[in-house]
Amino acid sequence: MNFATPVRRLVPALLFATTLAFVPVVAAAHPHVWVTVRSKIGFSPDGKVASVTHDWVFDEMYSSFATQGLAKPGELATRDLFAPLARQNAGGLAEIGYFTTLKIGGKTAEFGPVQDGDYWMEERPDHHVAFHVDLHLKTPTAPGQYFSLLVADPEYFIDYEYDDNDPITLVSAPPGCSASIARPKPLEGQDKAKLTESFFSGLAIGANFGFKMASRVIVACP
Amino acid sequence: MIRFDAKRRAAAALFAAGLALAASPAFAQLKQRPFMVGGGEGGGGEGGGITGWLIEMQSQLTRLIAADVHALHSGPAAIWGLIGFGFAYGVFHAAGPGHGKAVIASYMMASDRALKRGIVLAFLAAALQGAVAVALVGVAVLIFNATAPQMNAAANWLALASCSGVIAIGLWLTVTKGRALLVALRARFAHRAALAATPVFTDAPWRPAAGSGAAVAFRAGSPDGAAVSTVDDPAACGHLHALDPTALEAGFSWRGAVATVLAAGSRPCSGAILVLVFALAQGLFAAGIAAVAAMSFGVALTTGALAFAAVFAKRLAMRMAGGDDSRVALAARGVEFLAALLVVAFGLALLLVAGSGA
Repeated sequence: MNFATPVRRLVPALLFATTLAFVPVVAAAHPHVWVTVRSKIGFSPDGKVASVTHDWVFDEMYSSFATQGLAKPGELATRDLFAPLARQNAGGLAEIGYFTTLKIGGKTAEFGPVQDGDYWMEERPDHHVAFHVDLHLKTPTAPGQYFSLLVADPEYFIDYEYDDNDPITLVSAPPGCSASIARPKPLEGQDKAKLTESFFSGLAIGANFGFKMASRVIVACP
Repeated sequence: MIRFDAKRRAAAALFAAGLALAASPAFAQLKQRPFMVGGGEGGGGEGGGITGWLIEMQSQLTRLIAADVHALHSGPAAIWGLIGFGFAYGVFHAAGPGHGKAVIASYMMASDRALKRGIVLAFLAAALQGAVAVALVGVAVLIFNATAPQMNAAANWLALASCSGVIAIGLWLTVTKGRALLVALRARFAHRAALAATPVFTDAPWRPAAGSGAAVAFRAGSPDGAAVSTVDDPAACGHLHALDPTALEAGFSWRGAVATVLAAGSRPCSGAILVLVFALAQGLFAAGIAAVAAMSFGVALTTGALAFAAVFAKRLAMRMAGGDDSRVALAARGVEFLAALLVVAFGLALLLVAGSGA
């Protein structure tokens, strides 16, 4: 009797069965939290990139969750009431680089530690929760011809989207600097494609879905 | 009685081991993640065609659910949309890592459960998961007026218990199935030896050569055979006699089934918590409960389908393995042992997801 043949036939069945069993673990999670982003990029008097200020507005489900138990019924949750949660979130954000990748001249800028007062959370009158944080570059850096800003949760638990109307503001920028948003869709035009390549090859960290889905701010300075 | 006590002690030891594993640094990271929602459900991170589609579907459904909760203010008709979207959300959501369906499927592979029982387990686990979310949010918000961090802490304790339970069940199965695998191996060797030594054939002129040839082939092949053999359900083949005493003794254990349901279902899902808190904030807790019940039903359907696929694959493998009883039994025990290891792997994977995710 030949032992080998049934075993050989058994292998595909084994693989099939184990694959089936593993599919759910491999499949990724999906966003539970949606954030609308508005960012300000601040320049120093000598024209260097010095700070990034984020204003993040959360979706209504997370807002309900975050405000639960904070304010008296009928009142808005103030920055004071939010202070513990804001501190907890700011601490978590510090550990993962604030979900913010600022690339100038091919290098990722580093942010200094965030102090109390640099950040707050509050419930807006429309009941959406807002999170604000000021990030200061450790070393203000000359913008060069262009630089990019990306806000994304690589694990895609949080879906960051730039605001449609007012996504990005340049504060005290050298004359001629302009900002644009590159949405995750394929970009039109060869120049943009080139820009994308040069910028983002460094950002493509494996198959990180959150990065793939993220919009990027591109600031061009003459 | 004595045997049961020993088992219980072993189970307690394994549970403790699971807890120790669960208290690993990976889990400690959980508190660090910003803007998290309890339940230990987080990013998988890898994107792909089907995965991307699943993500997109769930994102849209979440918004539709939120819109329907709002619409309820103007009329009760929106409840049907809410239930429908909740159900669809559950079907898609069960394909993510946050649910116990992989545990159920592997448990079924590892423990000779019949299909019907597996589907019952799937539904019970999903129902428990929904009920846990409702109880958690109901108690936390209505009774304690808890804040988000407090709800997160509670949900994360449940997630920790769930992961530990899954790991403990996996380790327990690994031990029992490992023992069964050894028994099957021994039986297989004994069977081969008996065949080779059967006196009826000793004076047949062809026998010695064929016998020794087969024996050599077996010796060469068996380690691989044991290592690769898959899933199987001896009972499903109809003609298989239970050679393995542990298979006879195992039977259907309600204790094992209840433990599996508890482990797989005791972790509330983040999405359900969000829907419930949101509905409560809108003064529509009942609608939130209806949506979560629909979500659980959707999850149960996907889990049940997976259980069906697992059992189907097992039977297919068993038919392919066909041959004499001791070999089929060996294949069966090998597969069950692998499936038991898978349960441990799932428990660890869930723990890591909980640790790195939210």
